[in-house]
Amino acid sequence: MFAPFRETIADISAAIRKHRDRLGRPVIGVLPAYFPLEVIHAAGGYPVQLWGSGLAIAHAEAYLQPHCCSVARSTLELEMSGSAELIQGYAFTSLCDTLVNLRELYRRLFAKPILGLAIPVAPSAERRRELLSAELAHILRRLEGVTGRKISPDSLRESARQYGRVRALQRELYRSRRDTPGIIRNADFYAVLKAGFFLPVEEYGLLLENLLAGLQPVTGPSIRRPRVVLSGMVFEPLDAQELFDTVGAEVADDDFASGWRSVSKDTLRVDDPAEGIAEFLFGGAPCCCLHNPDQDRHEYLVQKVRDADADGVIFWCVKFCEPDAFDRPQLLARLGKEGIAATVLEVDLSMKSIESLRTRIQAFCEMIGGLEM
Amino acid sequence: MTRLAAFKKMKELMTLYYVEAKTATVRPIAWLTSGAPVEFVYAMDAIPVYPENYAAMCAAGHQSVELMEAAEGAGFSPDICAYARTDFGQNRLRGGPAGGLPEPHFLICSTNICKTVIKWYEVLARQFQVPLFMLDTPFLHEGLTTEMVGYVVRQFGQLERFLEGVLKRPFDRDRLEEVIALSRKAVGLWKRILDLGRRVPVPFTCLDAFIHIAPIVTLRGTQACVDYYRALFDEVNDRAERKIGSVPGERYRVLWDNLPIWFKMRSLETFFEERRCALAAATYANSWAGMEDFIGVQTSDAREALAASYLNIYINYGFEQRIRYLERLIAEFGLTGFIMHSNRSCKPYSVGMYRLKEELSQRTGKPGVIIEADQNDPRVVSDAQVEGRLEAFIESMAPNDLSQGSRHVVQCRPA
Repeated sequence: MFAPFRETIADISAAIRKHRDRLGRPVIGVLPAYFPLEVIHAAGGYPVQLWGSGLAIAHAEAYLQPHCCSVARSTLELEMSGSAELIQGYAFTSLCDTLVNLRELYRRLFAKPILGLAIPVAPSAERRRELLSAELAHILRRLEGVTGRKISPDSLRESARQYGRVRALQRELYRSRRDTPGIIRNADFYAVLKAGFFLPVEEYGLLLENLLAGLQPVTGPSIRRPRVVLSGMVFEPLDAQELFDTVGAEVADDDFASGWRSVSKDTLRVDDPAEGIAEFLFGGAPCCCLHNPDQDRHEYLVQKVRDADADGVIFWCVKFCEPDAFDRPQLLARLGKEGIAATVLEVDLSMKSIESLRTRIQAFCEMIGGLEM
Repeated sequence: MTRLAAFKKMKELMTLYYVEAKTATVRPIAWLTSGAPVEFVYAMDAIPVYPENYAAMCAAGHQSVELMEAAEGAGFSPDICAYARTDFGQNRLRGGPAGGLPEPHFLICSTNICKTVIKWYEVLARQFQVPLFMLDTPFLHEGLTTEMVGYVVRQFGQLERFLEGVLKRPFDRDRLEEVIALSRKAVGLWKRILDLGRRVPVPFTCLDAFIHIAPIVTLRGTQACVDYYRALFDEVNDRAERKIGSVPGERYRVLWDNLPIWFKMRSLETFFEERRCALAAATYANSWAGMEDFIGVQTSDAREALAASYLNIYINYGFEQRIRYLERLIAEFGLTGFIMHSNRSCKPYSVGMYRLKEELSQRTGKPGVIIEADQNDPRVVSDAQVEGRLEAFIESMAPNDLSQGSRHVVQCRPA
């Protein structure tokens, strides 16, 4: 049932090449986060999401300091090590200072075209719309140069429909995981999400439909296992997600930018694209990288834990990620006030050993109770 | 540091400012980022307070470590900006040279210096439970555009309404015009002082500028600020006329890129003096010298000019624009090389710097060096490594030919 997803992530380049050749669309590498993939797709591109890589940092060292996060460093390593030859262009958002400058660095180092989207920080609806209208006009002009195709209202509507459908299916998968303990192993769940970064939307949607139809609760011990919510920017390293399966804990829900925060976004509204993108960016789950006074991450996370009937929260922190790190102490204090156990795990996408994480996860799950030894 | 009579005046000015802020009972306190449009705050007679400026003072006075440790003890990661950690620590301990900052009634954050401040001010807003105004000044990947200027001007309108709401009185546009005029005068004087770095020998180095920068950051928009910089200009210009250099026997003239290493100011001063190397220009000090470029040139609207100048901050530029600017400074100030501070605490300044250094050296033919350090956290800086690199860099430079130095002299007059 998971084979097509597993095969995709086992050889990502082969999967992308196969689909690119079939579709005849230029591959656009999309860096974190929230660039509306629909727009690239509607212009005839094949967007793939780059949330870092597992490559050891060798070449990127020359251009990014060790105190840059491993998402940025390992993504740059992809291009610098020659592993990104399939990618014909890149798309960035202004998610954080590192990514803003990385976009500039890519312009200096590589000849590939770059699309950029400034995410508004001004919280009013009029200002968001104003900035996004200007940004969208630039993006569309540049996209046309990359794909040779103009976006039509129909193509945008169709792309929005396809991506909206995929996210709805992903949300169904999240609900199944949350409401039916044991229905999916954690490692499989995130393998499914990760495959979606690279598969064409049409193909991925079909695979998700089949998966959801075939999912049956995994039989196992009937006792309640410890349930946790994970919060962070990325769910990588994927191998580390398997640790929850091996220690006998369940990830009931997550608050990952590469997970639920993206999946929670509704179908892009296309009648007014700038307004639609504003709703897309600021709708759905809150994110530490989006300034949005209308949402309160504290209330949100507490409610998520309650809804998931979870016993605790694990902050899954990519080292050197500032936006995530700033929010953490106050979030931890709030969870503490609510009587919700929480712990912080620091991860690096290029980490060689995940054993230390196993010990920490096991200790936390024992602490929150119910872990069978 | 160059011994200037104005130094005493500045100390008095800043002491008075902190005493006023700390003892204020009627005037409300606003906390601002260093790149926020303080003119609006002065126009409404509130007192602007700058956590960044205070964090720098703490580090310069070797008091930042205790404060950062307090923040880290409260759960803040040692990987976040050291200014923010110093601020979070002073909030807890009431530490530093002024015994902590007076608590804010409201906050104004502008994104032109970084996105880190968004997170920093969100933390403050939650901690103090006070209103926060976020001014979005998007990064200029493609240069300054009229769309961006309009976007910021319209946010100024929202800032005025925010201030009216918080302070419960109408916004005074006439007063704003007066404050902008004062701000412009001070900025013009500051620019002229920094331009004196073109003279040979340099009468006022960047290390001097880093000390005398406090009023342009905190008091911009007041008459006291104008008076101070007029006096400072006169004194520095006099030194320039009499060819009194800050570094005796100046041999090398270099550019400093990025924030100062606040806790190493004294030791770096000695280090450079011993090697007869003058820091003649600094992108950081120049960040408060740009407003004049937009007054009456591109626009006659004071608020548009203000918006353009707050967008047009060096670290809000794309890399092509940064390289061109650095190239221009190297040419116009007759520099023999450049120093780039890869600052662990400042990503907008530092990420991509290795590439900028390569390109700048190629374009100018001048040697450059990158030092790995931090603006406020001495615990992550190796003195030996920093000084070793600087030593090798200075040895690699061809000294400035003083006999030809006069070709860099420019006419500078006070506004």
